[in-house]
Amino acid sequence: MAAGERYHDRVAGWLTGFAVLWSLLGMTAGVYIAAELVWPTIDFGQEWLSYGRLRNLHTNAVIFGFGVSALMATAFYSVQRTCHAPLFAPGLAWFVAIAWQAGVLAGGVSLLAGWNGGKEYAELEWPFDIAIAVVWVCFAVVFFGTIARRRIQPIYVSNWFYGALIIVIAMLHIVNSLAIPVTWSKSYSLFAGAQDAVVQWWYGHNAVGFLLTGGFLGMLYYFLPKHADRPIWSYRLSIVAFWAFTYSYIWAGPHHLHYNAVPEWVQSLGMVMSLVLLAPSWATMVNGVMTVAGAWEKLRTDPALKFIVLSLAFYGLATFEGPMMSIKSVNVVSHFTDWTVGHVHSGALGWNALITFGTFYFLVPRLVGAELYSTRLANWHFWLALAGVMLYVLAMWGAGVSQGLLWLSLDEIGELSFSFKDIMASMAPYYALRLVAGVVFLSGAALMAINLWMTVQGRAVVRVAPPPVAEGAV
Amino acid sequence: MAAIRNSLSPWHFAGLMARPSKACDRLAGPAPEVHDVILRVVLPLSIVPPVLAYVGGATFGWRLGGGEPLYIPADGLVLISLAYFVALVTGFVSTALVASWMAGTYGARREFGAHLAFVALVGMPAIVASLAHLAPHAFVNMLLLIPALIWSLYLLYRCLPAALGTSPERGMLMASSLVAYVLVAFVSLLGITVVLWSGGIGPALGV
Repeated sequence: MAAGERYHDRVAGWLTGFAVLWSLLGMTAGVYIAAELVWPTIDFGQEWLSYGRLRNLHTNAVIFGFGVSALMATAFYSVQRTCHAPLFAPGLAWFVAIAWQAGVLAGGVSLLAGWNGGKEYAELEWPFDIAIAVVWVCFAVVFFGTIARRRIQPIYVSNWFYGALIIVIAMLHIVNSLAIPVTWSKSYSLFAGAQDAVVQWWYGHNAVGFLLTGGFLGMLYYFLPKHADRPIWSYRLSIVAFWAFTYSYIWAGPHHLHYNAVPEWVQSLGMVMSLVLLAPSWATMVNGVMTVAGAWEKLRTDPALKFIVLSLAFYGLATFEGPMMSIKSVNVVSHFTDWTVGHVHSGALGWNALITFGTFYFLVPRLVGAELYSTRLANWHFWLALAGVMLYVLAMWGAGVSQGLLWLSLDEIGELSFSFKDIMASMAPYYALRLVAGVVFLSGAALMAINLWMTVQGRAVVRVAPPPVAEGAV
Repeated sequence: MAAIRNSLSPWHFAGLMARPSKACDRLAGPAPEVHDVILRVVLPLSIVPPVLAYVGGATFGWRLGGGEPLYIPADGLVLISLAYFVALVTGFVSTALVASWMAGTYGARREFGAHLAFVALVGMPAIVASLAHLAPHAFVNMLLLIPALIWSLYLLYRCLPAALGTSPERGMLMASSLVAYVLVAFVSLLGITVVLWSGGIGPALGV
């Protein structure tokens, strides 16, 4: 270890701050579009306030603004500690952090202006796609450069997940974004028809898999043992689950295309591989639950651990519900309904957001060397988050199953019993309930933002030196 | 033992539900016999929602929104009510089984009777909310079910440590694990129902 060497934690701190900001902006956009589904005239005739544009802003802000900033922050923080080495190319890490925020901001504005590539979760147009690829490669250089200079021989499991996130998202993003530009704001996909759909859902489902699942599992595997102050329950299980997860997830995309114009065997393969995914997902859940179970005393002093416990419960639900909904005879009723929206949010709010909140309550006080400003506020946040996500999921289960049943109902002469318009008009109460759920969840996130702001106010990030490495570990 | 047996009735549990402190203390006592809880509490409670659903569905038809109510033929309605009853009994018993299986991990008491009585108490608000089945409109039912579920969650987190004899911290972990199980069980039930519909059992669907 070079004398005076310190970890580069300021960049992780700033990324954490940006993530909190994006969570508030992205969730506010989500609440607004939920309100538009109850009162459609509140777009006031403005194109940029229309559902079609704000919905993309919502998904991009929460996934790429909140989610990816949180993943970059925690990856930079944890890779240094698991390698006992400061970040490789810290200047490049700052470039990644700032360029990413600028990209999400400019991309969000472009979506409001109506620039849209038309691919779900990959709506940004080609200039942004090129910029994202460049920043992502820089992220890879910093992360793998730090791994390469590690002072401990084994590569800890959290880094395997972060590494998979970086490699697979690069591959998916570049292939799915291949397009022929026509103007600065318009391009056409290199793929056509059914091929385009298969490539899009190979990207779309694996963005869920390697970013929203794999990346956040990296967060879980580093921060859960730190919270619990004990090693992961079964390290071997975590490695087996990693390889099983990585192998099976990549095949599951076609379950988004059931009963569409893609070969039957491709659909069935997507379904079978989705069912196989249950095993590694639940292996990870069991590993997490058993790690916490042995550290229950920590709950007395650590309000953040509760968030991680609950996130594991929703991880269990979402990873069970997903494979179940990929079964073709379930999908025929559930597809295109709000059941899918509920499923996505049980994962996004219940798993991704809760584990990130729990991690931030742990990380931020340590970054600035202070106690959390208010445990009471954090406890309030916990109950608001639980209520918000439960209400959301229940509202969407009710709406989704009703839609699936009513859309397909036949009368005695074999005609559809109900008109689509009438069915959708009758969904207003469920959408109102979803709006309430969103407001409740967002209020909790706002409490967290206040709590973390008060914790860091007037304090600088603590400079930490890598600890000495024991003989034999190198 | 006789005192315990006498306090095992749907009415007694409905009263306990409204007084959480008393309920926690009551369940913290000696565990009741398994067959007593099943015969005196679980079975009578599980009959209520299916009967109400049958009466409401046969009289008014189910409104899921979107125009005319859905009338299901009487024999179909009986079948659905029976399936509902079986699902409820299975739900109570399986949740208690899962809870007693988890007890070792979370340092809780192991007697199955105690777990079954606790699960019945936690499920009680939902049983009361099933009165809404008499007005068989999907959203009305959901609107009543939500406060009931909030009360159930409150009873679960509040009473679990005392009722199952573990520390508040381990109780919190065990309660969250049970929430996960119940959510998964509920969504499985939704999945099974939809598979039955797709297979031609239940309402006539164009699949």
